[in-house]
Amino acid sequence: MSAALTLWNKHLTKLIARKEEAFGTLFQPILWIVLFGTGMAAVIGAESPDAKNAYITFMVPGIIALTAMTGAIEGGLTLLFERLQGIIKEYLVSPIPRPSILFGNALSTVSKSLAQASIILGVGLLMGAQFIGLDPLGWLGGLVLIIALGLGFAGIGLAVASKASSPGGYHMLIFMLTLPLLFLSNALYPIVSLPTWMQIGARVNPVSYGVDGLRQTLFDSGSSLAGGEFLPLWLCFVVVSVFAALGMILAYSSFKKSVK
Amino acid sequence: MANKQQNSIAIVAEKLVKKYGEGVLAVDGIDLSIRANTIYALLGPNGAGKTTTVNMLTTLFEPTGGSASVLGFDVVRQANDVRRNIGVTFQEMVLDEELTGRQVLDYHGRLYKLETAERKKKTEELLAIIELQEAADRMVKTYSGGMKRRLELVRGLMTEPKVLFLDEPTSGLDPQNRASIWQYIRSLREKGDLTLLLTTHYMEEAEELADIVGIIDHGRLVVEGTPRELIDKMGADTIRLAGTGDSDRYLKELQALPFVQSSVDTGGLIQIGVDSGNHRLPEVVTLATKNNFKIEDISVAKPSLGDVFLKYTGRQLRDK
Ligand SMILES: Nc1ncnc2c1ncn2[C@@H]1O[C@H](COP(=O)(O)OP(=O)(O)OP(=O)(O)O)[C@@H](O)[C@H]1O
Ligand SMILES: [Mg+2]
Repeated sequence: MSAALTLWNKHLTKLIARKEEAFGTLFQPILWIVLFGTGMAAVIGAESPDAKNAYITFMVPGIIALTAMTGAIEGGLTLLFERLQGIIKEYLVSPIPRPSILFGNALSTVSKSLAQASIILGVGLLMGAQFIGLDPLGWLGGLVLIIALGLGFAGIGLAVASKASSPGGYHMLIFMLTLPLLFLSNALYPIVSLPTWMQIGARVNPVSYGVDGLRQTLFDSGSSLAGGEFLPLWLCFVVVSVFAALGMILAYSSFKKSVK
Repeated sequence: MANKQQNSIAIVAEKLVKKYGEGVLAVDGIDLSIRANTIYALLGPNGAGKTTTVNMLTTLFEPTGGSASVLGFDVVRQANDVRRNIGVTFQEMVLDEELTGRQVLDYHGRLYKLETAERKKKTEELLAIIELQEAADRMVKTYSGGMKRRLELVRGLMTEPKVLFLDEPTSGLDPQNRASIWQYIRSLREKGDLTLLLTTHYMEEAEELADIVGIIDHGRLVVEGTPRELIDKMGADTIRLAGTGDSDRYLKELQALPFVQSSVDTGGLIQIGVDSGNHRLPEVVTLATKNNFKIEDISVAKPSLGDVFLKYTGRQLRDK
């Protein structure tokens, strides 16, 4: 554990030293929510303030999932560069447990996601999203969901980063895996408005459960759009936890093969 | 305990083998037995298998065959015990360029669970040795090659290892940096309780530093000994000559002469180890004429480790 914390500390120190990237990490989610949120609200014809607020409320958890995903892609890239530049050798000849190399990376990815999520929630509030107010259990549930979603995505990023032999190859693969996870879900649009085949996809996609879980824990639950039903909350927690666990297992098995 | 029994031998390799994929046999059955508190230099042409050998000894990857141990700990089964006790500097640069020099040392110490106070003390001490205090809070990416290499070298010492592996520690450095690194390595040895395995292409480096030299080629250890032993085996002097004619027959006749201690044709250049170069030159030339071997160039020199190296590894490029 202490090795994972050391690597976490090192990654964040490096991130802060790279001022543009640190700034981008915090600013990018604002762009998403302001531009994409306003644009989409107009597209789906949410013109009245109430309808617009309902859409922003709907979309904020989706943007959280989206930034968790981009964050995880960057996290994987960190591991890939450490592998390609040989920095990982310093870890491999040191007496630290091998999984902590992955775990330290996942920790920094999740910390970034949490920082970004707070910004998104703040901006969302300004734009009219309707939160639950001061319900500690709700916020705790939301926190767990964001962390679990982050771990799942981080696992995918790390698994691909353990295999890829170049940044180009990494990006190809990672987008093929993560784009469907995001767009074949209820993150950005209500499930009921999708064609049937996409509805089926969205229902087997863990991201839908993470996002719907967030909608129920953090937000005023009147906000399911277009008359859609929420996925059952308990199922959301189960599915997202399994997603996190599978992500980490996948990452570790892929990583183990790469350092033989 | 295994650790106690083999106290005087720090590094052991038995029939160590490494195959990459199907084709490449990078290490082909190397045996090593390196005494504690000595400096051992592994010499070999490009692609000989030096780095691969070091990588197995440092637990970076597992051997395909054979076994090895460091301080009595098996490099596969007791890898973590090995890791706790070694310091490693890799052939290519392995530095986080976006950290400062001081951070590089500090994070390294943290990975080995050194206490904060000890890390601080050790960091300052090492930065002073490599004269990097002024640049210590600058990003590594702003360092020169020499500064980076010096930093890497002392990073391996943060944790006071008992066995240090240095893969080509001075390649690509200027004479000043090289001299300072040599001096540093010598001072380490004087402090005692450190076994050092280094690989190098620089003969003078091996001659300067090593107690024992091992030459490897094509993944095999071809000869081993103290630099003095190896050089003496070449004869007191070396006569080098180049020419045209039947060199095989000439070589055979040379070998029959009582004063010829070694003779080898390294692809066009014939090297003859003799007891005294100046005295034997006429006889060597006469014999050439008798065999219709036309000498075009001839010189006498004291043999060097470089001559030993070429004798055992020939002149052909290995990494064709
Ligand atoms: N990852 C790898 N995959 C396939 N072959 C490899 C790999 N690494 C090394 N080799 C091959 O193994 C052989 C030994 O390589 P190694 O790096 O151990 O040599 P070396 O003695 O360190 O050479 P140099 O002096 O150039 O550093 C070479 O033929 C090399 O091409
Ligand atoms: Mg090498």
